[in-house]
Amino acid sequence: MKSTFRFSERPKFENPSLIVGWEQDNGKLSPKVIEYLNKKLKSKSFCEIEPMDFFSLAGVVIENDVAQFPEGKFYYSQRNDLVIFKSNEPRFERYRFLNAIADLAQSYCKIKELYTISATSAPIAHTSPRRIFAAFNQHQISESLRGYGLKDLNWQGPPAISSYLLWVAKNRGIPGVSLWPEIPFYLAAGEDFQAIKLTLSFLDKKFNLGLDLAELDEEIRIQNINIDRLKEEDSEINKLIGMLESELTLSEAEQVELTMKVTELLEKKG
Amino acid sequence: MGIKLYKEPELNTPIMLCGWPGIGNIGISAIDNLRRALKAQEFGEIEPLDFFEPRKVVIEGGLLKDLQFPSSKFYFLRIKNQDSIFFIGQEQPTEGRTRYAEGKKAYKIANLVLDVAEKFGCRRVYTSGAAVTQIHHTVKPRVWAVPNKQSLIKEVKEYENTIVMSEIDRRSSQGTIAGLNGLLLGVARKRDLEAVCLMGEIPYYLQGAPWPYPKGSKSVLEVLTKILDVEIDLSQLDELARTVEENIEEFLESLYNAEAIPPQVKDEIEKLRYAKPAEPGPITEEEQKKMMEHIDELFKEGGPQDEKHL
Repeated sequence: MKSTFRFSERPKFENPSLIVGWEQDNGKLSPKVIEYLNKKLKSKSFCEIEPMDFFSLAGVVIENDVAQFPEGKFYYSQRNDLVIFKSNEPRFERYRFLNAIADLAQSYCKIKELYTISATSAPIAHTSPRRIFAAFNQHQISESLRGYGLKDLNWQGPPAISSYLLWVAKNRGIPGVSLWPEIPFYLAAGEDFQAIKLTLSFLDKKFNLGLDLAELDEEIRIQNINIDRLKEEDSEINKLIGMLESELTLSEAEQVELTMKVTELLEKKG
Repeated sequence: MGIKLYKEPELNTPIMLCGWPGIGNIGISAIDNLRRALKAQEFGEIEPLDFFEPRKVVIEGGLLKDLQFPSSKFYFLRIKNQDSIFFIGQEQPTEGRTRYAEGKKAYKIANLVLDVAEKFGCRRVYTSGAAVTQIHHTVKPRVWAVPNKQSLIKEVKEYENTIVMSEIDRRSSQGTIAGLNGLLLGVARKRDLEAVCLMGEIPYYLQGAPWPYPKGSKSVLEVLTKILDVEIDLSQLDELARTVEENIEEFLESLYNAEAIPPQVKDEIEKLRYAKPAEPGPITEEEQKKMMEHIDELFKEGGPQDEKHL
């Protein structure tokens, strides 16, 4: 039988934490956070989950003019207390896929904790401070992360893949937390640098990574200028963002209008 | 992972009745109404992890409390003439984005259901679903019966208000049964186990509708209660059928008034109102295709929006 994993190296770890991010996410938060970490930590992939059983391989998807191929890869760096996993969401056999992640993390890496990263869109303005909501799978890890400014999540509804993984980890006795940074709904199709920065700040503080996040400040500044210009040019957008800043609720049509105009702007600028 | 039985009741050559969601939820509603009315007792389940995605997560005060999956449960019933096993599946297992069960998972779950049927010595399996056809929603639906053995044809023809495929005009005994209702018949045949699928008729302009079609379920229930030789109170189902029929009338009327569907489509639906079920279809296949293009679009527009997942 073909193995689920393909190793390229066999690095050693010392009770690391596993950080999991997904390729598709609101405001591109999850992939951006993982890319940033991998770049700053000079991470290298050491193991890959074979895609055949989990993804549709009937052709390739083209994104930004480039043919993509689904993958799920584990990364290591000189920091032997961290393992990073970045993946497309599997299309088939999701339970087996999530167990494969947990298998490798538990048996090979001997991880002590799991962190998943996914954004949640929220009815807030881009000028509002972001918050990170959190769902824990054990009391102990919840207690150990008090003081990091995480907000307890309350939710009953369809589960995202991060919640599913958190549940798989719980059943295996792996302490874990799903981090849900909020992003303004109208930035969901673009990038939310402020939420990306906040998430990286949390990870920096938690793992003492020594990250320099100044380059993100510049991205935030430019994005805010662009949206300010749009507000000046379009009084309706100015009004809608003003309503969000005053914590007023927008109608569905207003939300769609705001999202379309901001997305169009960011695409042009991007 | 597979079947989990909480107890092993002693049953005398039972029959098995299986229900899954499908068009108008006709089958599952008929079987589940019967199960509830006869107070069948739960005795086992098929474990969900190999087959289903979770439906709901419960996170309270930052703590993950529960992840809920669709259930697939077995119930048993001892009654004077006929012991029975009920199987109720909340979802059909799918691979990819298909609406009905197909592929390896479907085949596997069909075999698990029949493993239980054989373990308890079931002599026959009944499944139930919808027969999409040219009838009007004010007409009493018939039940199409499809057995998996030629020897059962004579018996099923004797069921009240029931027809077999060769009795349906223009279909000349051919057809397909999508999803697990059909697959189970085939897998049972492979095991040399008798099985019959009972399908309540539903107007084809309602096949994409997001609401149930209790009228079709009632027709199936009337057949099943005769088979089991039991009587159950159908007043709640009647009430629901009346409400749904009123809602359909209002819905169609609002579409006509808003001119959301062309006048010829309205005429075609109205033609069905006065057709007798035994008559050849009052509209052509081409007319039916045109109607469906309009009606399906309307249901899509009113369908559920993308849900938030956390």
